[in-house]
Amino acid sequence: MHLLLVGISHKTAPVELRERVDFQARGIELALRTLASRKPGGGSAEIAVLSTCNRAELYLACEDVASAKSELVSFVSAFHNVDPPVIEPHVYDVTDLDAARHLFRVAAGLDSLVVGEPQILGQVKEAHSAARQAETAGPLLNRLFHACFAVGKRVRTETNLGSGAVSVGYAAVGLARKIFGDLQGRSVVVLGAGEMGKLTAQHMKSQGVRQVTIVSRTMAHAARTAEAIGGATAARWEDMDAALAASDIVITATGAGTPILTKAHIESIMRPRRGRPLFIIDIAVPRDVEAAGGEIEQVFLYNIDDLQASVRENLARRASEVDRAEAIVDEELSKFATWLRSRGVIPTVVALRHSFEAIRRAELDRLEFKLSGLSPDAREEARARLDEITHLLVEKLLLMPTEQLKSLADPDTAAMYAEAITRVFGLEETEQKADGKVEPFRAKPRTSSPGRQR
Amino acid sequence: MNVVPLALYFAAFIGYSLHFARRTPVSARLATTMLAAATLAHTFIIGMQTMEVGQVPVFDATSAISMFVWLLAVAYLNTEVTTDERAMGVFILPLLIALQSIPAFKAGAEVRSSVLRGPLFGIHVSSLLFAYASFALACVIGITYVLLFKEIKTKHLGVFYARLPSLQVLDQMNQRAIIVGWVFLTIGLVAGVAFAIEANVPAMLSLEDPKIFVALICWLVYSFELFAARRIGWAGRRAAYLSALGFAIVLLNFVPISYLTSSHKF
Repeated sequence: MHLLLVGISHKTAPVELRERVDFQARGIELALRTLASRKPGGGSAEIAVLSTCNRAELYLACEDVASAKSELVSFVSAFHNVDPPVIEPHVYDVTDLDAARHLFRVAAGLDSLVVGEPQILGQVKEAHSAARQAETAGPLLNRLFHACFAVGKRVRTETNLGSGAVSVGYAAVGLARKIFGDLQGRSVVVLGAGEMGKLTAQHMKSQGVRQVTIVSRTMAHAARTAEAIGGATAARWEDMDAALAASDIVITATGAGTPILTKAHIESIMRPRRGRPLFIIDIAVPRDVEAAGGEIEQVFLYNIDDLQASVRENLARRASEVDRAEAIVDEELSKFATWLRSRGVIPTVVALRHSFEAIRRAELDRLEFKLSGLSPDAREEARARLDEITHLLVEKLLLMPTEQLKSLADPDTAAMYAEAITRVFGLEETEQKADGKVEPFRAKPRTSSPGRQR
Repeated sequence: MNVVPLALYFAAFIGYSLHFARRTPVSARLATTMLAAATLAHTFIIGMQTMEVGQVPVFDATSAISMFVWLLAVAYLNTEVTTDERAMGVFILPLLIALQSIPAFKAGAEVRSSVLRGPLFGIHVSSLLFAYASFALACVIGITYVLLFKEIKTKHLGVFYARLPSLQVLDQMNQRAIIVGWVFLTIGLVAGVAFAIEANVPAMLSLEDPKIFVALICWLVYSFELFAARRIGWAGRRAAYLSALGFAIVLLNFVPISYLTSSHKF
């Protein structure tokens, strides 16, 4: 059984193509069910689809990688109604541990457009959840996805890969949170009814601020922007001071040629506030707020350059954390590889257990005759005791070989051990494939009793 | 015996420093475990001393400092557990280590004055120690507030920005610690006056006693701090500076005046 990944991402395909192969839009469940019914590349029909605005990836457990790959590309073309020659140059495919490594890096945010962005782990979880709901996630994909969740979690807790805002809007919100803590109940005033102010205010609103007030020289513009933000109010330019006095955060984004808020003006606003902090975000160019205004106690003034500088610093900090995140990916990949290899000896382990169980059952059946002389109650009790003791005995005998087999790291050694055990215990390999399920080895039917008769 | 908690406080300081640098769950658990172990060891020592002398050992400056360190460690651990905020440990531990060095290397008084008995004396000493521990916590929180404030104000967002809670939270924690400290300081001073009257020792009420005088100054500073934060908007950085000033006075009263003068010894 192989693990195959076929996909396109922001690294291989332009946005125009990524938009066309968006599985979210056409229905992930439909895609999963369709693929499951076709069983590309043979095997157990384990399939998961990871679809975000930056990538569309199909994870598949299959027997024949080459045929599975071409079937998947054909499916994607047909499903999204895009000609195969348009998609093919942008498709990448990786198998087995390379595919696992890719998913681990994706979950860690290492393969994202903005390295360390936090949404991707949630999207990977959604992909797994969709596969489980569509019943297309089997043992291999379940293990793979759980391992990648562990990678994502460890990278977020043990490195600073996701720390610090990497957009101006997030940087402003991050600063506001560092000053005020929770933004719930805070009020924002936006000076100017332009697009930049509106976007920043919308971002603040989405973070839970209580009230957004738009102040503009033209009341109609203010009302229109307030309506576009939703739940915001408009105020006249003459009422600006009252609005500023009641606010916690001020976003200035007017097209004025000279500063609207001078130091003296801000001082007059701060006086009745009794030390209540004021965070001013000046995103206008030329600036709306006199730089000296930032010298006032409890006034925190940031302009667009300050925010952009913070974003640049954070991006550089994230880049310096990449090596630590990659080391975590390697560590978890090594654990996954051990598990993957241990799957090769599972049929032998199962066959061994079946063989031992068959011997146990045969011996218990033989003892039935000897128990027949006992009273019914005593017979029941003796039978139960014997069953328990023999079961424990078999479990203990098999514990060590099972663990030893599963812990073998080298696939050649594992195969050698499995072969030796098969011969020594007379196990016969009768692997059957039926309905995509791999049947374990079965114990060889015995013609004579292996135990000594007393 | 006080060397054992001192060593453990030092180990906890290393743990908190590691956590401040790395911020991993393992370093967080290690730091808290070390501090909990240090506090536990300290509890045993104070418990043993209590059994030895038949009363909580707070009647001489050295024992009182040991008790103060223990109270501060407990208060900080409580803050850490309730807020899940460990960044301040790296600031608190040096204070604990510095103060615990005194009882660790200097023996306490063995003989206790017969005057210093009764419940009022116990309330007086324990309230003041608890107040001082709260003020120490407020001071450390205030220092962290100033460090974060400076980073945000100067637009150099660095280690404190990434590690400390918001200014608002730090300010609230600072104010809460000062209120608790002020209430216990007031109770301690009132109990002290009542004890002096009951014991009928006029020297105990003399303002010429530097310890009493400085304690009153301390009370005035913290009273002003509480008033200024509410009435004239001296919250935030100014409140943080005042809490640092207040604790500097507390320390002055606690260490130099206790050891370098003969004041307040009966």
